[in-house]
Amino acid sequence: MGFLRKFLGYGGAQLGLLCLVFFLGLAAVPNAVVGPLETAGTASGDFLAPPQSQHLLGTDEVGRDVLNLVVHGARISLTIALLATVISLVVGTTIGMTAGYYGGRVDVWLMRLTDFFFVMPSFVLALVITPVFLQVMGRGGEILGFRPSLFVIIVVIGMTSWAFGTRIVRSQTLSLKERTFVDRARVAGSSNFSIMIRHILPNLVPQIAANGALVVAGAIYVETSLSFLGLGDPLQPSWGTLLSLAQRAGAASAGAWWYLGAPGLCVIAVSLSFVLIGNALDDTFNPRHRVIP
Amino acid sequence: MASTGIGAPKSQHVGRIFLRAAVTLLMVASLNFILFRIIPGDPAALLLGGARTSVTAEQMEAQRQNWGLDRPLFPDQVVDYLSASLHGDFGYSFKFRGRHVSDLILERLPATVALVGLAQFIAILCGVMLGLYAGWRRGGAVDHIVTGASLALYSTPSFWLGMLLVVIFSTALGWLPGYGAYSPGAISGSLDWLIDYLRHLALPVTAVTLGLIGQYVVVARAAMSDVVTEDYMVTARAKGLNRGQMLMRHAFRNAMLPVVTLITLNLGYVVAGAITVEAVFAWPGIGGLTVEALNARDYPVLQGIFLLLGASIVVANLVTDLAYGILDPRVRQ
Repeated sequence: MGFLRKFLGYGGAQLGLLCLVFFLGLAAVPNAVVGPLETAGTASGDFLAPPQSQHLLGTDEVGRDVLNLVVHGARISLTIALLATVISLVVGTTIGMTAGYYGGRVDVWLMRLTDFFFVMPSFVLALVITPVFLQVMGRGGEILGFRPSLFVIIVVIGMTSWAFGTRIVRSQTLSLKERTFVDRARVAGSSNFSIMIRHILPNLVPQIAANGALVVAGAIYVETSLSFLGLGDPLQPSWGTLLSLAQRAGAASAGAWWYLGAPGLCVIAVSLSFVLIGNALDDTFNPRHRVIP
Repeated sequence: MASTGIGAPKSQHVGRIFLRAAVTLLMVASLNFILFRIIPGDPAALLLGGARTSVTAEQMEAQRQNWGLDRPLFPDQVVDYLSASLHGDFGYSFKFRGRHVSDLILERLPATVALVGLAQFIAILCGVMLGLYAGWRRGGAVDHIVTGASLALYSTPSFWLGMLLVVIFSTALGWLPGYGAYSPGAISGSLDWLIDYLRHLALPVTAVTLGLIGQYVVVARAAMSDVVTEDYMVTARAKGLNRGQMLMRHAFRNAMLPVVTLITLNLGYVVAGAITVEAVFAWPGIGGLTVEALNARDYPVLQGIFLLLGASIVVANLVTDLAYGILDPRVRQ
């Protein structure tokens, strides 16, 4: 409880959480806030109209309400980023804990794999893997409620962004496994698997959480960039896809600041929230970062 | 320090750095090969344009033999591919028929090198100076402003900054061009041409720089904040050094270590920033080529770009690892 009070004491954490709750609220019930996602067929406004009373954030190049698009975009962008992070954390923690706990040859090979993903940035890998898997899966249909392209992006970001977390988890595991409670559990007859899950994993939660918040911010950045390059899905537009559509419609040279401004500010707000939360978590749990009076 | 027999001697350390770089590069090339073969359909048919062209079965078979596609995938085709890649032969583009991928990439490379090189240079120089100053005067007014702005910029996609710059400086104010690299009719090599080129370069470079600078500030500041609480800084003060001497002799060099590491960790952002910003400004570099290749599903070009990016990242890591050994004597031991 002391840690929670300390965490909530940081101004950055408060700001980040407040902002995040707002966007998660929008993402949870977009239909209740702005009605169903507008399409070119149901568009209600003029083309590229500036903000006005009916369209608070103006309209896009086919007359769709930008507020409507941005609120629905929150659902898609946040879902992609959070699911990709879950994949990244599960993979990263599993590999890091296994490598650190077993050591020896297992450690050497797993860390060699980790080194590759540590050196190669998620964006660069995703840039070449995503189009290939899009071609393999085709663009039609849905997988678990996602258009195939979004599903591919989630998995690719998740599978390419775990290396940093793995290194943190491994180094923590190396020190945890020498502690007496692990020896005690082993003497009591616990299996390796049970020691890892019941004794080591709970002690890794602070580091995983602090790293996880930064992984979300990174995932948003990569998703936005990939979608901007046209790898998103226009039928389920994320904020990055909206920026891609704005670019193709020439919004910048037409001076349509509202069209590109709204999705961009949302990306910044959410990404900044996660960075602030991650930094606050890191300050809370990392003794090195405690301010020396 | 004399060799004590603990740890590897320097030459062995350097050898290991090179070996690791070579292994990573091999993995990049292998991934390239595997990915290309996951794509459904016969590679020969893909290369010949699929069903769109009228190729007889005999011609197809002849080409398959010609390209070695009738031989076993492993080891024959893998070895062929790796050796061709090593010789700079990345095959032919799908979109630009009959053009070598390596030619297409080399043609576009100078524009990207100019953009990224200039942006990195400005971002590192300004970012590190601002960050070190903010960390040195931690808690001051400058620190608060610089740190706040850096965190915001760190969370901002570079290409969005680019679009914003176009709206403000190109569309609204009309000061700078927001599209392409040259004005029509410019004569290559003249002074006017250079000025015109630099005017076109201004907004893209600003966008990439602003997208990168935040991270350098944050890391340089954190490094300096850590350094100023170290015991050797207390010792330095006890020796009677003034603040300027403490900064130059003790703080600066130690605070630079994390910054050097960041330069390589940051490469993903550099690549993402450059490619997307080039797409905004129709800058005729690798980023523009990437977007064209993505839209046309031009896999050979995409493969070539991936190999180029992979090789650049591996080389950058290699240089950093070697530089780290020079900067930090502890690594050598």
